[in-house]
Amino acid sequence: MSEQTETTSSTAAQRPEVNTESSGGQFEGKTVLESRDLDVYYGETQALQDVSLQIPEKQVTAMIGPSGCGKSTFLRCLNRMNDLVDTAHIEGDVFFNGKNIYADDVESVALRRRIGMVFQHPNPFPKTIYDNVAYGLRVQNNEVTDDIIEDSLRRAALWDEVKDQLDTSALDLSGGQQQRLCIARAIAVDPDVILMDEPASALDPIATSKIEDLIEELAEEYTVVIVTHNMQQAARISDKTAVFLTGGELVEFDDTNKIFENPENQRVEDYITGKFG
Amino acid sequence: MAAETDPTFDGGSELRRRKLLGQVFEGVLVASTLVGVLALVALFVLIGNDALGPAEADASWFLLYFVTLVAPTSVYTLLVRRDEVASSINGLSFATVFGSLIGSAVVYVVVDSVRPHDVAIYLVVGSLFPALVLAYNRITGGSHYTGPALPVSILFGLVSARILYPFIIPVISIVADWILFVVVVTGPVAAGLGLFVTSRWSRRYGAVTAVAVLGATLATAGVAITQGIDPALSVVLVSVVAGPVAVVSLDTFKRRETGRYGLLGPWLLIGGIVAGAWLERQLGIEGLETWLTPTLLLNSWSSFRPEQAGIYPQLVGSVLVVGTMAVLSFPVGVGAAIYLEEYAPSTGWRGRLATALDVNISNLAGVPSVVYGLLGLALFQNFFGVAPWLPRALGLKPSLVIAAAATLGLLILPIVIVSSQEALRSVPDELRQGSYGLGASRWQTIRNVVLPEAVPGILTGMILALGRAIGETAPLVIIGVATTTYSAPEGVFGSAAALPLQIFASAANSIPEYRTGVVAAASVILLATMLIMNSTAILIRNRYENN
Ligand SMILES: Nc1ncnc2c1ncn2[C@@H]1O[C@H](COP(=O)(O)OP(=O)(O)O)[C@@H](O)[C@H]1O
Ligand SMILES: [Mg+2]
Repeated sequence: MSEQTETTSSTAAQRPEVNTESSGGQFEGKTVLESRDLDVYYGETQALQDVSLQIPEKQVTAMIGPSGCGKSTFLRCLNRMNDLVDTAHIEGDVFFNGKNIYADDVESVALRRRIGMVFQHPNPFPKTIYDNVAYGLRVQNNEVTDDIIEDSLRRAALWDEVKDQLDTSALDLSGGQQQRLCIARAIAVDPDVILMDEPASALDPIATSKIEDLIEELAEEYTVVIVTHNMQQAARISDKTAVFLTGGELVEFDDTNKIFENPENQRVEDYITGKFG
Repeated sequence: MAAETDPTFDGGSELRRRKLLGQVFEGVLVASTLVGVLALVALFVLIGNDALGPAEADASWFLLYFVTLVAPTSVYTLLVRRDEVASSINGLSFATVFGSLIGSAVVYVVVDSVRPHDVAIYLVVGSLFPALVLAYNRITGGSHYTGPALPVSILFGLVSARILYPFIIPVISIVADWILFVVVVTGPVAAGLGLFVTSRWSRRYGAVTAVAVLGATLATAGVAITQGIDPALSVVLVSVVAGPVAVVSLDTFKRRETGRYGLLGPWLLIGGIVAGAWLERQLGIEGLETWLTPTLLLNSWSSFRPEQAGIYPQLVGSVLVVGTMAVLSFPVGVGAAIYLEEYAPSTGWRGRLATALDVNISNLAGVPSVVYGLLGLALFQNFFGVAPWLPRALGLKPSLVIAAAATLGLLILPIVIVSSQEALRSVPDELRQGSYGLGASRWQTIRNVVLPEAVPGILTGMILALGRAIGETAPLVIIGVATTTYSAPEGVFGSAAALPLQIFASAANSIPEYRTGVVAAASVILLATMLIMNSTAILIRNRYENN
């Protein structure tokens, strides 16, 4: 499994030309995930149109755009969660460390062990806190040690709150704690990338700011891709921002500062300044 | 415009007429709601009257039971209903006492009819390998994936028990039945209670509990032997009823500060009946002319002397047939539901096939049971006659119990499938996504996340299916199960019997006491069994829906 997904290849053939409408796609650092001419259809309706972008390593990349524009769809293509939707049909390629994850020899289960995911609504399993964090290790047939559990909970800034109740049900935690538990669960298996789909949209402001702090810390070790419809949030925590607009189009992708201060595209500017959306 | 010309807002005659019409309509709806319930009440009154014969009892009899039973339980009920803690303890207490009573009856009937020797061999040899797997898991702290090792070890254990069977059976045939009951019933119960107490209190208490259950069982068996009574039944009663009841009561008593009197509920009921019966005899009061007696439950059938007739053989037969049916049919039903809900795609030709299957399974639920009987006759009975070499080549003996169980199994399959599908569908998709997102495979997701959530719903469906199967008559008549049985069936390769068949046959008995007394009493038992099953199913569902 690791052989398939971890092969680093940066041959010229697999490097795409920068394909965003803006020209600001020159990154320092390594590209971890990269989509090329990605089209996604649900049945007959197209949800993503020709999306190409590169996601840099150990940074926070945000996806913003009005609801229904395909942000979640894009995110779910990155770890092949869309395979679980029968009607979804994907054209184009996604490269993870240079390897096309839609190639025939890639197991989606193995891929998801390297690319973790945190969802919009906190979805801890109806098990104990300990078992939630241990779940990924167990299904991946890795050894579970108390140290790994503690370390994961610490890195998710949850340890101090739950260290005395590891054997109680995760469902007894507050929404914000549940979401941090989901983050702990995702990092326990030590993935390369963490995908987050509006991780704070169901939380109150205090819980939201805790999650935001956490995301910035996580970016020191992991590549984080976050979907949000909250522009301030994207501005606060992300290094790069991709703007999707209705119809599943990637309109602009650049440094977050650039997008918010001086976007190239008129529609992006209208969206950022709240003229529509 | 009507309102403008109508300053009193009484709507005028037109509106009043409509209102009246509405009320009449509502009344009709209420009446339709009541029809079914009233019919059920009438049914209970009619057969209850026949079975219990209250008309023969003195007025003092009613007074006696009012004092010993009705008054105390009513006062108690009023008290408990006001106190939430006590009422939850009361529920637990009732569930433990009556649950374990029913459990002990089923355990006794099953072990007795399948022969304790066989159960002992399969249980002891069969659990060796799974025990090894569990021990390994424990030693390694569950950190290593053992995956399918457990089911494989269970299968392996059962197969080795089958192979070793001829060598062990001569050795343990000399052991008395009741000792084997201790091995197969008391052993697991003592171990289970010990573990339960260990998890709640301490290892030391756990050990004490296990030893106490074992000791009490052996002591009772000893007393029974000196009194010349068969100790097997007392072994089952002490370990399956007294053990769990004592543990649950003590645990609740020590754990709860208030509402402890909620434990009394079942004892007031049982005590009231026992005290009433005792006083009735002492005071020489003319009691009920009841057919619902221990004789009816424990005797063998008699077709000529109604007061001697008992339905023990039919009860054993029903438990055996329905139990075998559960083993054959539940895995298939749950498996089909898992496929349809979790695996079947929604698009392509396989998707269309799955949709077609899905629709037709609901249709199957409506097929008349007589037709299922014909199907069973063709598939499971004549099969042995048409191609007798095939079952023989497979090492199978013809068995009416298995044929009956398989037929009923087909009949309840749609119920099991549909209710399991509903249970699986109610598991939130977010949980599945969470599991997949952590790199779990589909089977791991189903096994670790979906099934544990769906189990209460699946169980509910199973219990409802059992309730349906236990009352089925027509298909069993058609495949040729004897309607009158005089002795209890022995194991799955013995003769078959079922309670509803005996009711069917005796309803036409020329001796009137059968038609009015025995049949009514047997029907009460059948109905009670079904009601208990259905209420258990509803309880399980409510409990988990609230959580
Ligand atoms: N499972 C699905 N089946 C069919 N259509 C879908 C599915 N998921 C998303 N869509 C459609 O795809 C489009 C993009 O959805 P989504 O990616 O969820 O947008 P966003 O996350 O930006 O709000 C929407 O029009 C939505 O209705
Ligand atoms: Mg979304």
